[in-house]
Amino acid sequence: MFVLLEDAGFQRVRSTVVPGFAFRKASTRDAAEAYGVKAVLFTAQKPAT
Amino acid sequence: MTDVALLPADEQAPLEGVIKGEVLRMYQEVAEHPEGEFHFYHGRQAAELFGYEPEWLDRALPGAVASFAGVGNPHLRSALQPGEAVLDLGSGAGLDSIIAAWQVGPTGRVIGVDLNPTMCRKAEAHAAASGVRMACHEGRMEDIPLPDASVDVVISNGVINLSFRKRTVFRELFRVLKPGGRLSITDIVSAKQLSQSIVNDPKLWAS
Repeated sequence: MFVLLEDAGFQRVRSTVVPGFAFRKASTRDAAEAYGVKAVLFTAQKPAT
Repeated sequence: MTDVALLPADEQAPLEGVIKGEVLRMYQEVAEHPEGEFHFYHGRQAAELFGYEPEWLDRALPGAVASFAGVGNPHLRSALQPGEAVLDLGSGAGLDSIIAAWQVGPTGRVIGVDLNPTMCRKAEAHAAASGVRMACHEGRMEDIPLPDASVDVVISNGVINLSFRKRTVFRELFRVLKPGGRLSITDIVSAKQLSQSIVNDPKLWAS
């Protein structure tokens, strides 16, 4: 998503992992861990001009 | 969760339709039966985990809090100011819109966009009962029903990962933001390409 934001024209793209995010069901949690699934907070700005 | 379509176009369209139906079904289920069990944490427990202010959760209508199904807290970095126009992409039951409306105040405005018209009406009702106004439009995130350069800020919470066409979604967000506008979104990403079996499973994709 970081790259997609930049490709769309956004500047000052920042990301930080959301602490504490997890799936509730163990089966989903295990699959998510295997794929490196994380929740991330993204911020970005559209250029002023 | 991927940023790349894995299927040929003729196979992707039907699957996209099935997934859209599953997304509608699952999040309406959260809204109507928040006491149910889902793949993800939801409601007040999830909101507190992500650092939502307890006073927000006490002040908002309980139904909006109970149906919260976000994956983080976009308000941590949104820096909303009085008078700003905010788009809440995938506004669901309305908790994030309500919190945004408190921050932008009566001179600002909050516009929700959601795939599900029933959720839109629910979010508007939750906002009204929480003492604020938000207008929710039924629409797809790949074709946002707003004019160019019409909002100052976009917030979103756990929604964009549900789209097969994320590049299009970000182009749309760029289009609707005013010059100098900003976004604060929380969402799910994966470090590895998801397997075709996951991509083909509407229930897993929707969760």
